[in-house]
Amino acid sequence: MATDPDAIDAAFYDELRRHYSEAEIVELGAFIGFNVGYHTFFGTLKFYPMFAPDGRLVDQQESARIYGEAPVSLAAPESVGS
Amino acid sequence: MTRIEPLEPAVIKDPELNALIERCKALGVPDEIFPRILARVPSYAKALLDAMVMSHAEGNVDHRLKEIVRIQLTRRSGDPYFGTLRSARAREAGLDEVTIKAGCDDYERSKLFTEKEKWALRYADQLYMNPASVDAEFYAGMKRHYTEAQIMELGAFIALHYGMQVFMRTLAKP
Repeated sequence: MATDPDAIDAAFYDELRRHYSEAEIVELGAFIGFNVGYHTFFGTLKFYPMFAPDGRLVDQQESARIYGEAPVSLAAPESVGS
Repeated sequence: MTRIEPLEPAVIKDPELNALIERCKALGVPDEIFPRILARVPSYAKALLDAMVMSHAEGNVDHRLKEIVRIQLTRRSGDPYFGTLRSARAREAGLDEVTIKAGCDDYERSKLFTEKEKWALRYADQLYMNPASVDAEFYAGMKRHYTEAQIMELGAFIALHYGMQVFMRTLAKP
């Protein structure tokens, strides 16, 4: 949905229906759409998680060092997950 | 009509959800097809529709400007459903198709918009086309025209409506 929405065609939805109810597909689709919209917006605000992976409360400077200066949501689609 | 069919109105029994769907219909955005698809998950439908209508029709940024921004976003998301919808309230307030088209095309050179309005159009345009350009310098430029609350209002409005457009695009049959 985020990187290749044209790939989500009738055949894709037919395959989804083999595993999920229509209500579950709507739930997933709305959740994904919401995150597609908000993560890019949040990425421009340049804020970072309040907690380190080990659960420590950290300030924004330390969090930026842990999680990286460039939020993943601002990366080019082909580099996400690589 | 769509890859997940909207529920028939008669089967939507939740009065709070029905009131929200009526509000969507009255505003014209998001009309009733998308709400009746979302109605398959009533808890999601109520939260998302309330946020969509509130972020569009309330707040401290001109509703007409947000309507142009919303329609401009459909060019980016490629969603025909939301792209054809029009806010009745914005139309009653004087927003016409000439202005909408100008906001979706070369708004930077248009004389129909103030510099302040162009910053909002630029924000929506750049946020999903080139998010890396929406940096500290960009926000500093916006802050010359908008309060931080207004910038958050615009950003949250853009993010939510764009996200729902992206979802709806996949549901529309060619």
